[in-house]
Formats: sequence, C-alpha cells, structure tokens
Amino acid sequence: MAVVLLPAVLAAEAGGQKRFELDAATVGDALRQLPVQNLLFDESGHLRRLINVFVDGIDVRGGRLLDEELQADSEVRVVGAVAGG
Amino acid sequence: MGVLLPVGTRKGLFLLRGDDRESWEVEGPLLEGWAVYHAFVDARDGTLHAATNNPFYGATVHRSSDGGKNWERAEELGLPEDGELKLNATWHIEPGRDSELWLGGDPGVLFRSDDGGRTWQLNEALFEHPTRDRWQPGAGGMCTHSIQLVDDAMYVGISAAGAFRSEDGGSSWAPINQHVAAEFMPDPYPEVGQCVHKLLVHAKRPERLWQQNHCGVYRSDDRGDTWERLDGNGLPTSFGFPLALDPDDPDVAYVIPEQSQEHHYTAEGRLGVYRTGDGGASWELASNGLPERAWVAVLREGLAYDDQALYFGTQSGSIWTSPRGATQWTEAARDLPPILSVEAAPA
Repeated sequence: MAVVLLPAVLAAEAGGQKRFELDAATVGDALRQLPVQNLLFDESGHLRRLINVFVDGIDVRGGRLLDEELQADSEVRVVGAVAGG
Repeated sequence: MGVLLPVGTRKGLFLLRGDDRESWEVEGPLLEGWAVYHAFVDARDGTLHAATNNPFYGATVHRSSDGGKNWERAEELGLPEDGELKLNATWHIEPGRDSELWLGGDPGVLFRSDDGGRTWQLNEALFEHPTRDRWQPGAGGMCTHSIQLVDDAMYVGISAAGAFRSEDGGSSWAPINQHVAAEFMPDPYPEVGQCVHKLLVHAKRPERLWQQNHCGVYRSDDRGDTWERLDGNGLPTSFGFPLALDPDDPDVAYVIPEQSQEHHYTAEGRLGVYRTGDGGASWELASNGLPERAWVAVLREGLAYDDQALYFGTQSGSIWTSPRGATQWTEAARDLPPILSVEAAPA
C-alpha cells in the first residue's frame, strides 16, 4: 500500500486525517482517491498549478507526474509550492 | 438583543460576539488557511456559510451547522469540465427564496444551491450571456459580488460587467446600466462593462437601487432602468467600494470613499464615513470617534448594517461599530488579519 501524506490545510479538510494508505498504481490514482481530490484538481482534472508532489523524497514534475508509477511502499507527499519571501 | 459578526479575513474567519454591543468577544481564527471573502449566518436555519479561497487549493464554499465548530466543504462546485473558464474565486453568498442559496464568483458567474450549500448548479443564462465577450476583469478579478432578491426581481453586480436584472428567477438577465459611467472605456456609457463595486436594493422600497461604482455613486428609482449619479455634492471623491443602507429609511445610505482608483486608501487621509439622508442629494461626514488621520481601506464586503447599528472592517484589521445613524464610532476589535468581509446576525 502506498502512503500519501497531506499538509495541514488539506488534512483539516480530510477530517483531520494527514496520512492515507492507498492501493494505487500511479500518483494520479492515489491523489484521486483522496477525499480532498477536488482541492487538488481543477474542473478539467488538471492538478492545480501551485501543488507539488514528492514521491519517495523526489520532486516529481512535468506532464508525466500523474502517470508516475508507485511501488507498494512508496511515500507520496503533497506540498503547497513555496511562495513568498 | 446581542449581535454576532462573522468577519472574513485573509487568514480565516473570526466571530465577534457583542451581547451588549459594547464589549466584544473574539473567536477565531476558524477555517485556518482559507481567505474568507464573505460569510454570513442564514437566518432560516442558523447555518454559517463562508465563501473560501486558497491560492493552492482553489475556490470553494464551507458550511457549519454548529456555529463554526465543524465545517463541511461543498461537494460539487465548478464550471463545465470541457470549457476554457475555471472558477477562480467565490465571492458572495446570498439567501434566496424558500430554501435556495445563491453564490457569486469569478469569472462573472452565479450558482444556485437547493440543498443548503452542499452542491451548487451553475446559472447558465449568466454564464452564456450574449454580452460576456464585452466583460473584462477589474483589479479584483471578474467577480459577481452583489446578489439581491427583492419581490419577483433578482439583481447581480459584476466587476467589470455591470449590473443585471432577472425577472424570471435567473432564466434570463437584462443589463441595467443606463446613465452609469465607464470612464475607462472608449465609449463612457456602454451597454455593459461598467465596474460596479457594490449594489444594494432597499427591501422596503424595492424599486430603489443604490450602487457604489468605480465611477461614482448612483441611485435608481425604477429598478435599475435608469440611474442618477450622486457624487460631487459633499463626497470628497467618487471612488470607493462599500455601501450600506438603513433598514427602514430608503433615503439613507452610507459610503466610505477612497482617494482614487490609483490610490486605494481612505480619501483625504482620514477614515471618513459619509451619510446621506436625502437620497443622495447631499452627503455629510459621519465619522465621530474615527481616526482623523488614516490611510486605510474598507473592501466591498467590509460594511454591514442591521436595525441597531453599522459595522465595518479595515484592511488593517480593525472592526468599527456605531449605533444606527453613524452617530458615534467605537473600535470593537483591532489587529485582526486584513478584513475582507463583515456581516451582522442577531445573537
């Protein structure tokens, strides 16, 4: 089972749950199972612009992000992009 | 009777309780992480609704049935999946007829909920309005910020699209911008494109509308068919955002002018509330108790009133209140985050 970790605001929106264990083949599969998926994706199903995703500590970027394959023990960390000074 | 003020800020929601309207208890921040563009208590069932926005996670709406202890986020809210437009922000929630709720948002959109704010349906007539290609966003985005329902009519104000009226429950919308200036356009009196900053209808005289506009303060006595410009007769400038009325006297209105469209702070370097008691023919300063030297801003949702008092919040985090008539202002709270909205509910 892959593990998905959420930042504080999203965890609050998920009823206080910060850690999810999910059976998911890809990053996209995992994120779309979350109860906050409509905060992560816009109306067209695109990941919102200021959301970054780290898989096993590596910043996964670009068009293939959602297709990134997960291993059974992968850790997916959702992070708001660093903004401001 | 006491009062509850839901105060939307850039850093969450605060609840101010004034049992005697003189001493105030501040609760919050609630909805941490969300900028609360507008929040109100629905008098029909006591539910607290908030238009919530986050730069990372988008625009949504929250509701609480227990006074802000627990919150539910809207399950269904957005624009058509196959379209080019995205929901950029939620701006204002207004109770409608029976149990309905209306929600205004950016880009110039309106939603209706029939289940207490859990799911929202897009108003297609406004979304596909034939004049939409002539609308343009103001500095705050293209926001539907004013929603008014009186008798059989419904009104919306959109920056910068203008004011629109529906007489069929939102199935069609007619522009009502005659004699309203858009001095920033090549044609200063176009059919649409006016930058309404706030629009209110007087509940006891439903043919009377008021608006604070980018280009002046206006009153209409024929449901928006024609407008009369009212600044230049006691107001220091024509520019500002908030607007308040009196619940009983339709000749009374309040505005808080700003220096100019380039300089968004209170006009003439003072925190000036201006009151008219003659339908806008003349305006007088009504700022007893307010700082005489101040360069602050009060946003379009930042001024509220009920049958007892007036209330406003500043971008510098102060809440001010005065008995009805704006006779004497006192500071109810200070050092809150930048205030986006103020509403008042009996408590």
